[in-house]
Amino acid sequence: MATKKLRRAKLSQELCERLSRYQITTCQDFLCLSLLELMKVTGESYRNVQKLLRKVSLACAPKMQTAYEMKVRRSINPSAAFLPTSLHSLDKVLHGGIPCGSLTELTSPPGCGKTQFCITMSVLATLPVSMGGLDGAVIYIDTESAFSAERLIEIAGNRFPTYFDSDEKLFCMTRSIHLYRELTCDSVLKRIKSLEEEIISKKIKLIIIDSVASVVRKEFDTKLQGNLAERSNFLARGASLLKYVAEEFSIPVILTNQITTSLSNGLAIPADLVSPAHDLSLSEVTGASGSGKKESACVTAALGNTWSHSVNTRLILQYHDLLTRQIVIAKSPVAPFSTFFYTVEKSGLVLQVIHS
Amino acid sequence: MQRDVGSLPLSPALRARLLAAGFQTAQELLETGPCGLSKEIGISREEALEALQVVRQECAGDAAKTAGGSGSTRKCTALELLEEEQTQGFIITFCSALDNILGGGVQLTKITEICGAPGVGKTQLCMQLAVDVQIPECFGGVAGEAVFIDTEGSFMVDRAADIATACVRHCQLIAEAHQEEDHLQALETFSLESILSHIYYFRCRDYIELLAQVYLLPDFLSEHSKVRLVVIDGIAFPFRHDFEDLSLRTRLLNGLAQQLIIIANDHKSAVVLTNQMTTRFGQNQSMLVPALGESWGHAATVRLIFHWDNTQRLATLYKSPSQKESTIPYNITLLEGSQEYQDVSRLTSKFTGNLCPFLLVPVLHSFCPSC
Repeated sequence: MATKKLRRAKLSQELCERLSRYQITTCQDFLCLSLLELMKVTGESYRNVQKLLRKVSLACAPKMQTAYEMKVRRSINPSAAFLPTSLHSLDKVLHGGIPCGSLTELTSPPGCGKTQFCITMSVLATLPVSMGGLDGAVIYIDTESAFSAERLIEIAGNRFPTYFDSDEKLFCMTRSIHLYRELTCDSVLKRIKSLEEEIISKKIKLIIIDSVASVVRKEFDTKLQGNLAERSNFLARGASLLKYVAEEFSIPVILTNQITTSLSNGLAIPADLVSPAHDLSLSEVTGASGSGKKESACVTAALGNTWSHSVNTRLILQYHDLLTRQIVIAKSPVAPFSTFFYTVEKSGLVLQVIHS
Repeated sequence: MQRDVGSLPLSPALRARLLAAGFQTAQELLETGPCGLSKEIGISREEALEALQVVRQECAGDAAKTAGGSGSTRKCTALELLEEEQTQGFIITFCSALDNILGGGVQLTKITEICGAPGVGKTQLCMQLAVDVQIPECFGGVAGEAVFIDTEGSFMVDRAADIATACVRHCQLIAEAHQEEDHLQALETFSLESILSHIYYFRCRDYIELLAQVYLLPDFLSEHSKVRLVVIDGIAFPFRHDFEDLSLRTRLLNGLAQQLIIIANDHKSAVVLTNQMTTRFGQNQSMLVPALGESWGHAATVRLIFHWDNTQRLATLYKSPSQKESTIPYNITLLEGSQEYQDVSRLTSKFTGNLCPFLLVPVLHSFCPSC
């Protein structure tokens, strides 16, 4: 919208030519100038410049809808609002499952089951709507080369044995999962930019990026000057593109992240400004390793504060004891903090009930 | 009348010609008349007439200002202002502690900024306010409508519907307790559909759309004169990336703040903005501070910071012209049937596993107009 040319904003031809002499060709250039500057470049009086501003704004501004219209649109198609994770207690608390049209982040220390969860979600998205799926294809952007097709088939066969009873069905499912191996930040961003066209041509219903953190942390060393700003820039741009795609096509987007210990040389974020979910994960980690001392640094999701604002839902996976792990809903607009225990088995993630 | 020609809001080319021809004051222009002007400067008669109309309007405005009448600057005594402030309504948040520290609720004609870490409840409070602004006057509300400008995509219609249902239920309970005629009448039009239909939602994806929308807001508000609340959820998000020129960002933000103040005053509505927190590295520690820089801190009249203390959410009133700094605890609670009222003293910070549909109404108190 910002790069819309002024010609399309219904300004007169001569005005557009005059403005292009000052290098003002898009709505963005026009709206960033102050009123006096606009008077100078357009040569119009104060009142006329205000009228022009209104015209250009009309070309850029979003359309109005009332909350009621949005609700009616949702209720016409309720099943399209969530992708159930097949973990029933989790789905109930999340009001249906992973929400469509927003970004969901999965954070955990290594080995907790993020990739397993992502593979399970890929299978679920290809299932027909009657079984709780989205009946569509999946784009899986893999930056760690952790995706295993054999595991995909194993999970599908064990989790839905009655549905995947023939090889034909399995192959059909695997054909709809499009895997892209991207190893640099640049290529990831390029891939995200190309998503819009791919979604339309391949009828994609789920986007997974596993993992954002590994590729970003490989390339940006935040101890170096200027890298922090560049990293935030890259993440913010990626996040806004993904949000646009998620909302436009009303599909869920799942991203995975890593855990980081907060800064080591004495700099620590005061506990009262970090959410309780982060404190929880700290106590679990020290419990498992046997040391009872609590450190002043705390364990948080990587990629910084700005990224935490960009994602709408955040699920944290962590170790509980040797076999069981837990999944915590750390941030969600519809659900409060909740914890569920699970183990990783042949059929993927399976919820357990722990009696303390 | 003696106004200098160079200060008139004419187009720059015309102004340059007038000055070159030797005109100095507005009086001279008016005396010359359109025909004389067009001959002297070499412009068409229509252009000369238009210019003279602008000049006349400006001078009339100046004269009115010097005579003490109402023009673009308003003049009144502090007593009139006091009376106005006392009769002004507040938008209640239904959290008595929060309303208390704000001095009654979110004030109209002022900009309130809510800062906080991710996940602390900023969007929840904005949705709550968008519903509470519509409470009818007999229940103590301002009976207005709401504009919700969303830059982050965090507005959830289902959640807003839940909050609206809870609010209607709450008002119904009050009406049952008091059994007054106007309460029951107001309840007929105060329903879930009407509440949701009066929340006007705009989704702005980048800062240009946000700027364009704010330029168009005064016209929108003139058409929808019952709007009493403008929420911009996420004023920081579009400005925090893709900006190499920080001075441009400061200029745009200042312009935005100016326009919002004008909107708040002219249309007697409250403007609520939510801001993010960013890390600032000090000598020995890093702190979380509100984003968008120091100069943005001046834009808002009232600033609330939401943060955590272990598992308890706290709200701190950080900046206010009339109330003192204080901190209160609050909770984002569930609302289901009889489990409605939760006293501040009985707040538990543990969330159990079996959770019902999740609603935001931080600490309800029995709201009664006579209290």
